[in-house]
Amino acid sequence: MADKRKRRRPVDDSDSESDSKLPFKSKLKPDSTILQTLKTLKDSATAAASSSATKPLTLSDLNLSTACREVTDLSLSSVQSSIESLILSFAHSILAGNGFSFSVPSRSSANQLYVPELDRIVLKDKTAVRPFANVSTVRKATITTRILQLIHQLCLKSIHVTKRDLFYTDVKLFQDQTQSDAVLDDVSCILGCTRSSLNVVAAEKGVVVGRLIFSDNGDMIDCTKMGMGGKAIPPNIDRVGDMQSDALFILLVEKDAAYMRLAEDRFYNRFPCIIVTAKGQPDVATRLFMRKMKTELKLPVIALVDSDPYGLKILSVYGCGSKNMSYDSANLTTPDIKWLGIRPSDLDKYKIPEQCRLPMTEQDIKTGKDLLEEDFVKKNPGWVEELSLMVKSKQKAEIQALSSFGFQYLTEVYLPLKLQQKDWL
Amino acid sequence: MDTPTSRMTRSAAKKDSPDSGKKPPFHSKQKMDTEGSSDSPAETKKAKSKTPRKPKSAHVLKQKSPAEFFADNKNIAGFDNPGKSLYTTVRELVENSLDSAESISELPVVEITIEDIGRSKFNSMIGLADHERVDEELYDDFESAKAREKRLAKEARHQEIQAKNASVGKKVKGPMATKPTKSREASYYRVTCKDNGRGMPHDDIPNMFGRVLSGTKYGLKQTRGKFGLGAKMALIWSKMSTGLPIEISSSMKSQNYTSFCRLDIDIHRNIPHIHVHEKRENMDIWHGAEIQIVIEGNWTTYRSKILHYMRQMAVITPYAQFLFKFLSDTPEKNVTVRFARRTDIMPPIPVETKYHPSAVDLLLIKRLIAETSKQNLFQFLQHEFVNVGKSYAERLIGEMGPDFSPKMPVKSLTAQQIVRIHQLFRQAKFDDPSGNCLSPAGEYNLRLGIIKELHPDMVATYSGSAQVFEGHPFIVEAGVSVGGKDVKQGLNIFRFANRIPLLFEQGADVVTRTAIKRINWNNYKINQTQDKIGVFVSIVSTKIPFKGTGKEYIGDDISEIASAVKTAIQQCCAQLKSKIVKRIQAREQQERKRSLNKYIPNATGAIYDMLKDMSQSRASKKKRYEDKDADLLNQVSAHLVTKETLKEKLTQHVEQVDYEMALEYATQTGVKEEPREDVYIPPLEAINKFNDFCSPYFVFRLFH
Repeated sequence: MADKRKRRRPVDDSDSESDSKLPFKSKLKPDSTILQTLKTLKDSATAAASSSATKPLTLSDLNLSTACREVTDLSLSSVQSSIESLILSFAHSILAGNGFSFSVPSRSSANQLYVPELDRIVLKDKTAVRPFANVSTVRKATITTRILQLIHQLCLKSIHVTKRDLFYTDVKLFQDQTQSDAVLDDVSCILGCTRSSLNVVAAEKGVVVGRLIFSDNGDMIDCTKMGMGGKAIPPNIDRVGDMQSDALFILLVEKDAAYMRLAEDRFYNRFPCIIVTAKGQPDVATRLFMRKMKTELKLPVIALVDSDPYGLKILSVYGCGSKNMSYDSANLTTPDIKWLGIRPSDLDKYKIPEQCRLPMTEQDIKTGKDLLEEDFVKKNPGWVEELSLMVKSKQKAEIQALSSFGFQYLTEVYLPLKLQQKDWL
Repeated sequence: MDTPTSRMTRSAAKKDSPDSGKKPPFHSKQKMDTEGSSDSPAETKKAKSKTPRKPKSAHVLKQKSPAEFFADNKNIAGFDNPGKSLYTTVRELVENSLDSAESISELPVVEITIEDIGRSKFNSMIGLADHERVDEELYDDFESAKAREKRLAKEARHQEIQAKNASVGKKVKGPMATKPTKSREASYYRVTCKDNGRGMPHDDIPNMFGRVLSGTKYGLKQTRGKFGLGAKMALIWSKMSTGLPIEISSSMKSQNYTSFCRLDIDIHRNIPHIHVHEKRENMDIWHGAEIQIVIEGNWTTYRSKILHYMRQMAVITPYAQFLFKFLSDTPEKNVTVRFARRTDIMPPIPVETKYHPSAVDLLLIKRLIAETSKQNLFQFLQHEFVNVGKSYAERLIGEMGPDFSPKMPVKSLTAQQIVRIHQLFRQAKFDDPSGNCLSPAGEYNLRLGIIKELHPDMVATYSGSAQVFEGHPFIVEAGVSVGGKDVKQGLNIFRFANRIPLLFEQGADVVTRTAIKRINWNNYKINQTQDKIGVFVSIVSTKIPFKGTGKEYIGDDISEIASAVKTAIQQCCAQLKSKIVKRIQAREQQERKRSLNKYIPNATGAIYDMLKDMSQSRASKKKRYEDKDADLLNQVSAHLVTKETLKEKLTQHVEQVDYEMALEYATQTGVKEEPREDVYIPPLEAINKFNDFCSPYFVFRLFH
């Protein structure tokens, strides 16, 4: 395909003024043709989803040699009772003079396993002991107890709080929000439930705009009528329902800036789609929302991320889950995300000028090489090729690099052309 | 030659042709051609608008004596400004003294005195009468009426603010340090350095001081000096700043007289200019040299540098004794520091070595050929270079080509042939030079120096084996200390090259960079920002690859040195780590109970609150619990089990665990720490009705 373009290129240049302003614009076919390709994409995605929907693969189906740990959504009362039985056993143990000790599933990277059949990371069953009477664990054991107590209160009152709220209830003990956040994930693992079932949510981070209608806590939300900023993705997924859409695909955007461009240009009206961003690394709410959209609407997901190792990393978090939350990867991952751009090969293909490309730092190159070793990259030969190209050329570029051809180049030429050519991996 | 005229016209040419971007070479060339005749009216006009020039003087061929060169470029020898000049003078004199004493294997005793000379004293020294200022406004530090008004107003405002602060009860900062009005008046110092070294032969003294680039330290050898300038540069500086001559008295071991010499230097001819040169009586059978020089300097700004230098010198040469004195008219400013000798063991004198084939260039080969006493090529290769043995020399000559033969006279080599030899030297493989010619400070001395000067809590030292870069052997020694007095938090880096401290341009140095960027201090349980870390690295080599004009730092670009430095520091850290870990364990041992107890209220509080909630909700909602749990909740609601009960029980548990851990710790470490003693048991069949357990200090007798 690249060859063809090269051959035609000189003709384009002599063609007309407007074409040289926005390179490759002449390559665009009418929107109706592009829409046709998108429709076939959607149909194939729907077909694939419905065929696999009949037989959803779970961990238990696989008979893996290593035992794996997964959590489930638990009701408030069952969370409450499991906390209570844990605490009662501790009380007995203390009164018997034996102190107490947690058994916490390890979330270290040695305890993670990528399952290619499921296309996501799962947690193995190694656990660590966290006794109170040990200098190295006393602090964590105490924080864990305290967090358990706070969640117990949430259960009694059946309300939601944010992670920040939780931290502020005992700043003196927690010292640092990262500590209480980490213990919160531990508590999910100990109790075997998802973090949402603990009634603790993170602050809103992700936003969505486009052809989507859903109910948030009973109110119907039309995401085409949410202004430029879009609708913030609700932190607790259980109050989201009734999703409807006439979109052909979901466009996942890494950066807020690119999202704004797309929203302002009403890209979703030209090509019916739903645009989502989590402004960098996605939070739990956005990932839950993505998965819900994918499973309910059965739309293909296309991703637009930076051409650097972190862009791919973000893609992988959406796709196969983060190591930190791998215990809940079943609910948090959106399988089969297509990598649309900006891909390392696009830098030359779209003749992105030198001044918009950045040299990769040593750290970047190291991250890139590490990613090449990861299973979720290896399973997709196209990704391996692109990433190797990136590491070899030692150049990265952000989505904004396209702005060098004009701010609207992204929405007017780059994305339509990419979609027309089905140029995704 | 780029005269001002040509520069001028070229810039004019550029302005004239803004569209020259397309074919710049042609355009500019054309302009360049015209500039010789400069017949373009615009250009001449521009040139004339400037002050008139005398291009003639630029064309006169001038020659510079080495002394003149260094007088013009005194910054490359470390004489950038008066302050640095004072510092460099001190260090050149001190280093000369150390070299001199070490050359006769005498433990060095160096006395250095800096004496502040006031202006009037200086004037009287040079025979200039003091002048009163007549026209005050002529001087730079004259305060005009307007300026005085401004200053007084500022002071008044400041006082007002202070008074206000005092009335409000704020913490009053000390009176704002009024900046001393910067006077451009020079200050003069007499620097005296006395040692117990070799001394100098009577007749050589004038040339040793009065001729730049003549010296005893040339040759391939590990030396302290950097350029072979030493005292000569100080003399040039004194000539430039005060015009006063240098005074030298010297005596050698076998002499029964003292040579006294007063001289200065004729900078243009690079020859000494002798005032007095005589033999005097040697009263107290002293040998060594005493050098006295009067220079312009700046003690106030370079005080700390000079003291740091002395201190670091004392670290790296603990076998020397230094006495440093600063004298001035105001006694409270006087400084006297004595760095006592801590050891009698001196590192061996570095020996001169031959060149390594991979370290020579064309010029050097030619020089070696000119100087050699060997007749033929074979002997030349074998004797003038290290690591070229008999068979290797033969193989080399065979490889050089048909033009060469082992017996050919070495002086008859043509220029082309020498190039061929040079090429082969570059390509052929030679064994690395050995480090035998080097004289590192030695781990022992380094360690002693660190302990003596810093009094650290712990110290570890490491001495690497000799390594090679570009044919020059080098040895890296390192010491890492933690804690100590007068050490600031974080990394304190002490750099030594050929056993002299390096104080300036620390940022780019290989040692600094390695210590900051490439060592993961956390790995060794050392906190890079909190702990007082001393990093000492001493590099010795026949050629130190200095960077920059002042030769004050070693570049970070030589990977051999960088990796050797890294390994040396890491080795030290690894030694420290085990000590630190032990110490942490011991501390943990002491603090375990406290840190565990600290969390008891938090943990029991949380658990008890939950129990209470449970017992309450059980009462209202009639939730079912198992018998055992129900009992417990009953006890909670009946206040039989309270927060205190839980606390008490948990404390008991902690105490028990603590006891067990302490016991375990004692059994593990107790055995190791106590020195073992031999105990003897006599055979059982002895007649005596007792057994003797004999130790070197006592006998334990067991009666049956």
